[in-house]
Amino acid sequence: MFRLILKIAWKNSFARPSRTILLVVMIAVSMSMMLGIQGLYDGMVKNMADKNKRSDSGDISIFAKDYRINRDIRYRIKNAELIQKELKNTEDVEAVVLRISADGLASTARKSSFAQIRGIDLQAEENFGAFSEFLKSGKIEFGKRGAIVGIELAKTLKLKVGSKVVFSTQDSNGEINSMAFKVKAIVQTTNIVLDTSAIYINLEKLRTFLGLTPHEATQIALKSENKKLSEKLKSKYSSFDVKSFFELQPMMKMMEDMMVIFNSITFFIVMSVVFVGIFGVMYVSVLDRIREFGIMLSIGMQYKYIRLQIFLEAIVVGLLGFLSGAVLGLVLLIYLKDYGLDFSAFADALEMWGYETIIYGTIKLSYFTTTFFAIMSASVLSVLIPLRKIKKLNPIEVIKADK
Amino acid sequence: MIKLQNVNKYFYKDEPREVHALNDINLTIENAEFTLFSGASGCGKTTLLNAIGALDAIDSGKIFLDDKEIGSLSEHERTAIRLNEMGFVFQAYNLVPVLSVEENIGFIMKLRGFRESEIKQRVLEVASMLEIDNKLRSLPHALSGGQQQRVAVARAVASKPKIILADEPTANLDSKNSQKLMDMMRELNEKEGVIILFASHDELIRESVRRVIKLNDGTLVDV
Repeated sequence: MFRLILKIAWKNSFARPSRTILLVVMIAVSMSMMLGIQGLYDGMVKNMADKNKRSDSGDISIFAKDYRINRDIRYRIKNAELIQKELKNTEDVEAVVLRISADGLASTARKSSFAQIRGIDLQAEENFGAFSEFLKSGKIEFGKRGAIVGIELAKTLKLKVGSKVVFSTQDSNGEINSMAFKVKAIVQTTNIVLDTSAIYINLEKLRTFLGLTPHEATQIALKSENKKLSEKLKSKYSSFDVKSFFELQPMMKMMEDMMVIFNSITFFIVMSVVFVGIFGVMYVSVLDRIREFGIMLSIGMQYKYIRLQIFLEAIVVGLLGFLSGAVLGLVLLIYLKDYGLDFSAFADALEMWGYETIIYGTIKLSYFTTTFFAIMSASVLSVLIPLRKIKKLNPIEVIKADK
Repeated sequence: MIKLQNVNKYFYKDEPREVHALNDINLTIENAEFTLFSGASGCGKTTLLNAIGALDAIDSGKIFLDDKEIGSLSEHERTAIRLNEMGFVFQAYNLVPVLSVEENIGFIMKLRGFRESEIKQRVLEVASMLEIDNKLRSLPHALSGGQQQRVAVARAVASKPKIILADEPTANLDSKNSQKLMDMMRELNEKEGVIILFASHDELIRESVRRVIKLNDGTLVDV
């Protein structure tokens, strides 16, 4: 019986091919556009979060208690290298870096600005977050007295590669010290704080400058996919300030949540359009064939089989729309993932907020699974009203009308 | 056996244009009857056929199919009776447009759960009897009116129902095919004991049946 009904449903779905094809194309195009938008929204946040992690916080960061509040090198981790070794041997930890950071004043002959000097190990940073990918101009190296400067700070101080800059800060003994550097490179991490204030120099050089011992650091950042690791580390290193990425970057969490809301709104709008499309076509299709259903009822076909037939017709059309949309959407997402979408025309605004000018999409299986269930639900729901019409149908009226 | 007791049916009831389509009909149709309802257009013969076929509700009275009173049955039960005990031949063929001739003829058998091999054999048997066996793969729209009517007849008789209700079955057939149809109906009636009720003006049917029930303005005038 099911095979017979499926056969009728299948044949009816293509009884008016242009109508069915139009509906399938409508579902496919709406769905692929929606998938593209979802991929871009998620890609924007993912890329931003990724660069923040790579350039600064990692998935988890460890600081000395009170360092983040006071931003004072008096609150530093004394045995940082030992902890780094322990972390490297911890399961699920992919990479660990030590950093020293101190706030101060950066000056040129004509300008000065608040800045933070960051002591980093270039090789370790490369392994941790591919630091060289942030390069905008110059060459990633420190040399003897070289520094790398964040792009917005460089604009503020009118620095170029080869320019000189002096940085002044308080050392561990409370003395004000200054250091002169030659700009070797300008970087853009899209981390707003770093791009507007960071001067990167060699880690050992900064230790010496600040009067720190070789084992000390102000931050230990680590990479790990394990979401539960931060809780473990919090209890293990309870004398330190252990923070996960979202604890350090609550704005990112808010942006991620906002993107979920944007995606949900887009999803709702597109699915409403799909619902109205399927409803319209199924309603007209049922009205067109009201006599046929009357005949079926009159010769003894139970209403439940007619209901099944109409559900199957809607599902066939919905499924074809979904499959076409999934293929089209996948192609679009792969393109967006590989080549991105160029928003150079809005570069100033985007970079000010920490976005890249080329936004790359992401691909998640959940895009397809949720869309599948939504389209199938829209298909099934769209035939409820046409079905009510058939349920109320008096077969004799249909047969009489024909005579 | 079919028994009608004081059956009344109105159209547009309680409206100025009210029509008393069936007026206090009392009638018994025995098993294996081969009967025609005749009368002028609008006399109520199709309405009577539809009421017996559990297609149309009546306003008062009772219709019994064996010991079952149709009026007391639910819509689901009435549909089941139409499927399992009746075969319908409508004037307008009423075939399923997306199914082939073969599928249309076997449609009711499939709904009734006959075995695939049994359906195939019976479809072939009925189709060759009605000379449409060369059209089994065709869709209804590719057939002439007469051929479509024969498919509708084949569909009604294929599942060997207890009762066949045929409303103007020869209306779209030429005299040769009408004769063939009547021969087949008679054979089915005689061999299988199927009750066959016609509503028609056709003289050929009048000559073929064993009983003629005449109606005039919804009233039985000659049983």
